[in-house]
Amino acid sequence: MKNTTLFLVGLLSLFISCKEKSKEVKNNESQGISLSIDYANGFSIKQYTNHTIITVTEAFPGAQKVFKYALIPRDSSGNNTDIELSNTLEETLKSQGVDAILKTPLNTVVVTSTTHIPSLEMLGVAETLKGFPNLDYISSPLSRKRIANKEIIDLGQNESLNTELTIELRPEAIISFGVEGENKSLNSVERAGIPVLYNGDWVEKDPLGKAEWIKFFGALYGKEREADSIFNHIKNNYNLIKEQIAAIENKPTVLSGGMFKDIWYLPKGDSWQAKVLEDAGGNYLWSETEGAGSIALSIESVLEKGQQADFWIAPGQYTSYAKLASDNPAYAQFDAFKNKKVYTFAKYKGETGGLLYYELAPNRPDLVLRDLAKILHPEMITEAFTFFDTLDE
Amino acid sequence: MNNNSYIPTFLILTLVLLVCILANLSLGSVAIPIQDVIASLVGSEVSKSSWEYIIVDYRLPKAITAIIAGSGLAVSGLLMQTLFRNPLAGPFVLGISSGASLGVALYILGGTALGLSTALLSGKWGLIIAASVGSFLVLLMVIGVATRVKDTMALLIIGLMVGSLTSAVVSVLAYFSKAEELQRFVFWSFGSLGDLSWNGVGILALCFAAGLVLSIASLKSLDSFLLGDAYAKTMGTRFSRSRLLIIIATSLLAGSITAFAGPIAFIGLAVPHLIRQVINTTRHIILLPAVIMGGAILMLICDTIAQVPFSEFTLPINAISAMVGAPVVIWLLVRKKKLLF
Repeated sequence: MKNTTLFLVGLLSLFISCKEKSKEVKNNESQGISLSIDYANGFSIKQYTNHTIITVTEAFPGAQKVFKYALIPRDSSGNNTDIELSNTLEETLKSQGVDAILKTPLNTVVVTSTTHIPSLEMLGVAETLKGFPNLDYISSPLSRKRIANKEIIDLGQNESLNTELTIELRPEAIISFGVEGENKSLNSVERAGIPVLYNGDWVEKDPLGKAEWIKFFGALYGKEREADSIFNHIKNNYNLIKEQIAAIENKPTVLSGGMFKDIWYLPKGDSWQAKVLEDAGGNYLWSETEGAGSIALSIESVLEKGQQADFWIAPGQYTSYAKLASDNPAYAQFDAFKNKKVYTFAKYKGETGGLLYYELAPNRPDLVLRDLAKILHPEMITEAFTFFDTLDE
Repeated sequence: MNNNSYIPTFLILTLVLLVCILANLSLGSVAIPIQDVIASLVGSEVSKSSWEYIIVDYRLPKAITAIIAGSGLAVSGLLMQTLFRNPLAGPFVLGISSGASLGVALYILGGTALGLSTALLSGKWGLIIAASVGSFLVLLMVIGVATRVKDTMALLIIGLMVGSLTSAVVSVLAYFSKAEELQRFVFWSFGSLGDLSWNGVGILALCFAAGLVLSIASLKSLDSFLLGDAYAKTMGTRFSRSRLLIIIATSLLAGSITAFAGPIAFIGLAVPHLIRQVINTTRHIILLPAVIMGGAILMLICDTIAQVPFSEFTLPINAISAMVGAPVVIWLLVRKKKLLF
């Protein structure tokens, strides 16, 4: 009987102390500091005393669900070495319904889009990348070298991660793009206890907004400051070029995209491609179209509007005039084709055929802008091309 | 022939099924020694915890899904072949899978093509709910028609027409959608047995059980249907009620399987023919259990091949089922020189 009473009292005091501890955590809640996110609309980062919360508000177009990821530093200076406190913190965070709790900095990670890789490389944490679906898409020399050394394993083809291999690898986090619940293999690895984080960089409409997602990765590695300075460098570079160009009166007209079967797909007016074209001092002929995706048009309407365009930029995968003309005689009708003013990003390929543009362009809008400005106003830019080049004969 | 003479055949089928289950559980992208496979299943010590997770929480639900999908599709194929007295009928002749694919197409592609918002359905169950709603609406239509139409053959034609209609709408949606969305839709249409949660497997099993109970309840009327509508009526079969039961059983089976695993072609059409080649009877009390086992065996074999053991690649289950099954059916028919139907 005595023992039971003692036990109960002990239990009660434990309970009370737990309650007090969770109060402590709650008090810190109100004093979070928001990091500055100026261009991206899809996420925000808030730092608290013992943890950081990343909130992803637009993981995919039209997402209703807001995702919250809690980051707890592994051995932050001061009071987080107390295991009991960190457990209490985790309990509290779980009760607040966060979607994942991660210990930072991450040691092992799997990303699913090549656009995530430049962020890791710029932050100097490329060695944490352990797996990727379809390695052939990767073109950066640094990561290709790690693939050659068997440091990154192939997790299957296309969109679907190979569930068994991913569970066997057990990364501390998977950074995904896409729509929650639609990728069955992601649901499986999540059930296996591997946190899946949604990265919405591809949803951003602003070129700099896409690049700002480096801050998302910065938080995962406790490198918020580095991410901030890298982004500021990109931003300043971008704005400098934009200001240089803004003074120029002459704005050449621009046509973009190409045909698939008999439908011509080109970027809509609110897309980031259209925005960079405008900032590069171009007059994009479809800048009035609303929306951020691509628009499907008949060849007739494109010819009608774009035949006299001064430049034709990004005709899909084409790298030569001969191939363009042989695929569809209609292509040869455009003035830009006749005057050899077609520029493509399809010439810069990685060892295994992945296009550098698809991997690096969203991270480095400043370099895309510089390339486009060089095409449209060659007298303004002296540096060499990064992504674009003229077509071969 | 009395029922006892089929016992050896059923024993062999059971043995083959057990071997297939074990093979399916032991083979996959990650190489796991057979003793660890068995240890995970009986709950003893496994050398690596990730192996135990892969066996118990990934391969086991996948194997169960394969068994349910194979059996369910084979049973609904048998029901449809009997109902329409047509060897070309399969589980999807009434438009079940076209209904499901329309639901999924609206869910994935509708956002761009029609400006629909699918926010109501987002999250982990969105696809499954969209597919279920699609096939359920088609089912309601078919039942509405079935109560009006006396002739079973007319029903078959109407089912095919509904299929053409829905696939036409899907084509229009696909024409106006983005490449990524199209890819997501195409991936769904490849079918997949893996990656279901235990909850998902549970719901699927419930639908399967319900469909099976209805099929067993229809055993007697199925036998009389083989003799033609007119004869079935004279036998005292309550004609339209039994026909409705068979339609509902098929829809439950084929609809739930399509919702969870995508449209898996071929199995439902071929298994009844394969079984009739092995077991020469028209009595459904024998055919039904044989078809259940045959479907499960064929699906497990297909899934094992589709996993491409020990490589990071997997193949779409929908392609494998026909690749493996079609030559077998052709070979059997050529060898026997006649269709037993």
